[in-house]
Amino acid sequence: MSTKTETEAVGSAVAPPTAPADMSPRRRPLGDRLKDIGGRWLFLAPALIILVAVLAYPLFYTIQISFAELDLSTFTPAKNVGWLNYRTVLEDPGFLNSLKVTGVYLALALPLQMILGFGIAFLLNAEWRGRGVLRALFLIPMVVVPVVAGGVWKMLLDPMWGFVNYLLGLVGIDPINWLADPTLAMVSLVLIDTWRWTPFVVLIASAGIMSLPGDVFEAAKVDGAGWFATLRKVTLPLLAPVILAAFIVRWLGAVKMFDIALAATKGGPGQATDVVNLYIYEKAFRGLEFGTASSMATLVLAITMLLTFLFLRLNRFLEKRW
Amino acid sequence: MVTTTAAAPATRGRSRHGRLGRGLRIGGSIAATLVFLFPVLWMISTSLKLPRDIFASPPRWLSTVTWENYTSYFTQADIGPRMVNTIIVALGSGLLSIVAGAMAGYALARLPIRGSGLIGGLILASRGVPPIALAVPMFLVARRFNLTDQHITLILAYCTFLIPYVMWLMRSFFMALPKELEESAMLDGASRLGAFFRIIVPCTLPGLISTLIFSIILAWEELLFALVLTNRNAATIPVAIAGMAADTEQGAMWGPLTAVGTLTVIPVVVFALFVQKWLIKGLAEGATKG
Repeated sequence: MSTKTETEAVGSAVAPPTAPADMSPRRRPLGDRLKDIGGRWLFLAPALIILVAVLAYPLFYTIQISFAELDLSTFTPAKNVGWLNYRTVLEDPGFLNSLKVTGVYLALALPLQMILGFGIAFLLNAEWRGRGVLRALFLIPMVVVPVVAGGVWKMLLDPMWGFVNYLLGLVGIDPINWLADPTLAMVSLVLIDTWRWTPFVVLIASAGIMSLPGDVFEAAKVDGAGWFATLRKVTLPLLAPVILAAFIVRWLGAVKMFDIALAATKGGPGQATDVVNLYIYEKAFRGLEFGTASSMATLVLAITMLLTFLFLRLNRFLEKRW
Repeated sequence: MVTTTAAAPATRGRSRHGRLGRGLRIGGSIAATLVFLFPVLWMISTSLKLPRDIFASPPRWLSTVTWENYTSYFTQADIGPRMVNTIIVALGSGLLSIVAGAMAGYALARLPIRGSGLIGGLILASRGVPPIALAVPMFLVARRFNLTDQHITLILAYCTFLIPYVMWLMRSFFMALPKELEESAMLDGASRLGAFFRIIVPCTLPGLISTLIFSIILAWEELLFALVLTNRNAATIPVAIAGMAADTEQGAMWGPLTAVGTLTVIPVVVFALFVQKWLIKGLAEGATKG
């Protein structure tokens, strides 16, 4: 079963599988049934064709490089070195540290952004004339190009001139050197990332809240359900698919994070904010160690796939339950 | 909707409470928006400052307003053509991804396809691929087919992260719709594709538009692929900014950096405000129909 579906996933972007065994024959002519199957695959075809061409192919190439030494003059894999790159990577304390840093960042940033995002979306859902404009304004932090965003926050957090310390000074707190202390640098990174990405959760949550059926809430009101009961018994269960989808998309985005770290902290101080993608980037494009960088990328990919798979299982479980 | 002013005391109490809650929510939403906007306002004000006022203690909102940060850099860095490139690439990849991704999302949400869970998982997990892992092979392939520095190359490259993103979000929006919707349309003789475009798409318009906005934003700010796959003809704004950011280490470029940052925000804000109207219109129509 599993091998069958795997070959399907890879090979059948264009050719639909013929004669599915598990379809109960409802005395419909074979031609009709084939047309039906073709119709289903028609929906998947554009996405699959593009993704195989621009994603699967480069990805396999990366995996190939991860087992090789790359010839830097021609950018082709020169000789196969087996698992050597992987062993180098697993013995590299910098790489292991970057995995840990990424884990800490994810554990802090994701829950914060989800809660803030859905909370603000509920606030923004109050009916009044300005809410559309507020929603659009809310998007702006996301639009600021990461390099600029990192720079602006560096200015705001500057120990001597920064506005944040100026505010703290007004309430009598001494200036804090945000980006120079390892713990605070991580806090700053999470802060900047949350500032940039909470709007994403807000918009997805808003769209979800807006497409909720109004009559259910009317019914809850008529039944005399209070604010909290409505939230817990009606709103959250109905929103569950959107919440889970937002979380998974945000998780996959956060796993790839590197531009903010690059712009704001460059991974420092020391290696306190050296997230895994930044580390790989430095290895590949500064160290020109494409072989080991590809091994790291492949490992990160494998870990991501595994965790995503677990989240998806959880997702399906929760979707069924609610 | 209908205010119950002349109803029993208990109901009136609740509605007064409701009004207070509504006021708090409006106040809260304005406050939250302002907090989130503050760094952007700071960026805009910095872009209008003289260099000596950018680092002042205590910080100042404004100095003598100067446009120098906008004019000085503009002439050197070809910001205009790069803005056009960014718009072409962001719109192109956004639209291509929304069509392909929404169709795939629908297939995964509704159609009985063998192995659809696995396909969906694979497509989704591909969004977790570190872009670094794709950048080098993409560069090599683009060079082999003579496609470096072309808009279409960047558009296709952006599809690698946009299509999975669109597919996953739209799948959840489609799943929130009642099944009877397209079933009744198909009983009336519409084809699956017809039912999708005429019934399903209009019903998920808010989700579709917000997904499109985010796709365009994601493409708008992307740096790595643009850096690797373009050099002149198709170079985007983030590429130009990255060049400037390298100079900020010397401390002199904050003014121009914030100026270009401000300029890149404007088109997307205009776009988002424009689309927001459609979003609400689509919602209102959907509500009256329902």
